[in-house]
Amino acid sequence: MDRNQLAKWFKEPVKMGHKYSLYAVYFCTGCGIIEIPPSITSRWDAERFGVIPVATPRQANLFLITGYVSVKTLKAIIRTYEQMPEPKYTVGFGSCPINGGMYWDSYNTIKHLDKYIPIDGWIAGCMPRPEAIFVAVTHLWTLIDKEMANGYKRYREKYTYYRANQEQLFGKLEWPPLFPIGDTHEQLAKKKS
Amino acid sequence: MNSLLKKNLKSAFKGLQIEIPEKDRLIISAKKDTVLPILRFLKDTGYEHLALVSCVDWIEEKEFELIYILSAYMQKDSEYTDREKTNITLKTRISRENPDFFTVIPVFETAEPYEREIHELYGIHFEGHPRQVPLLLERNYKIPPFRKDFDTREYVKEVFDNIPFVEGRAGEE
Repeated sequence: MDRNQLAKWFKEPVKMGHKYSLYAVYFCTGCGIIEIPPSITSRWDAERFGVIPVATPRQANLFLITGYVSVKTLKAIIRTYEQMPEPKYTVGFGSCPINGGMYWDSYNTIKHLDKYIPIDGWIAGCMPRPEAIFVAVTHLWTLIDKEMANGYKRYREKYTYYRANQEQLFGKLEWPPLFPIGDTHEQLAKKKS
Repeated sequence: MNSLLKKNLKSAFKGLQIEIPEKDRLIISAKKDTVLPILRFLKDTGYEHLALVSCVDWIEEKEFELIYILSAYMQKDSEYTDREKTNITLKTRISRENPDFFTVIPVFETAEPYEREIHELYGIHFEGHPRQVPLLLERNYKIPPFRKDFDTREYVKEVFDNIPFVEGRAGEE
């Protein structure tokens, strides 16, 4: 523990606890997951940064989406994300979740992941090196410090829109909404006219 | 050994085109109705491993080409000495307008997931297949997505690009 941060620890112990115990969901999508085993094992040792993969989303607060997201995977991603306890942070890893990457014209791969779940940070590259994960983790620390990693709050606020987007893609979803849904702007405009 | 197999095949089935492009390779082009007997014949000869069922869309010739790739396990046999080294490709063509074929599950049970996949991605109907339900995809496509006339860019524009961004939308405070 850094002695310079001792004051912070006494001031905001919860936030510091969140910062230094980022438990990652062991959720594999696409090819980026190949970077995770070297990151968590002795070569790069993610535990130096407090990042450990955990078995279930119920124990996790960091979600690394490590590659292209097919429509079927997106369903699993949304369910996993909704099961995680708050505060939760999501990081899109690689160029495919950002804008489709090399699958930008694929028939079964979604292009922008942040249309369906909120994302706190992106790691660009195809593939990013394991070092990039740690750069992202340190950036995430800064964001948590400044309370800018507020994806889970945005999800709660704009759940209507996220849910509308999810339903536009999937049709009817099999699970009930996580938060109360209101009307989207389009529906309000329709009602007015 | 390949020449012996070629001779045996030619004597058993009439009108077969058999090529040997290189050592230990055999390409058989057969008509639609002789596929099952040929597969049965090859299985009896010792080619018991159906490695792959694949499909090609020849859109200009208005045909689908179904491809069966067979190989053999290591077995001692005096007649066919190099059998386990040989790869056999069996090709057949069916019309594109009326893509009906029959299942080869009676001969090779391993064909089941391959045929399911081809049914899903190319829209070929395999008669006698017990489970022609979607295998990989969840969405309904107007044209099966692996056909050449399926326009992926248009589809992406229609489906994925039509979904609006949540953050930074117009009409919000």
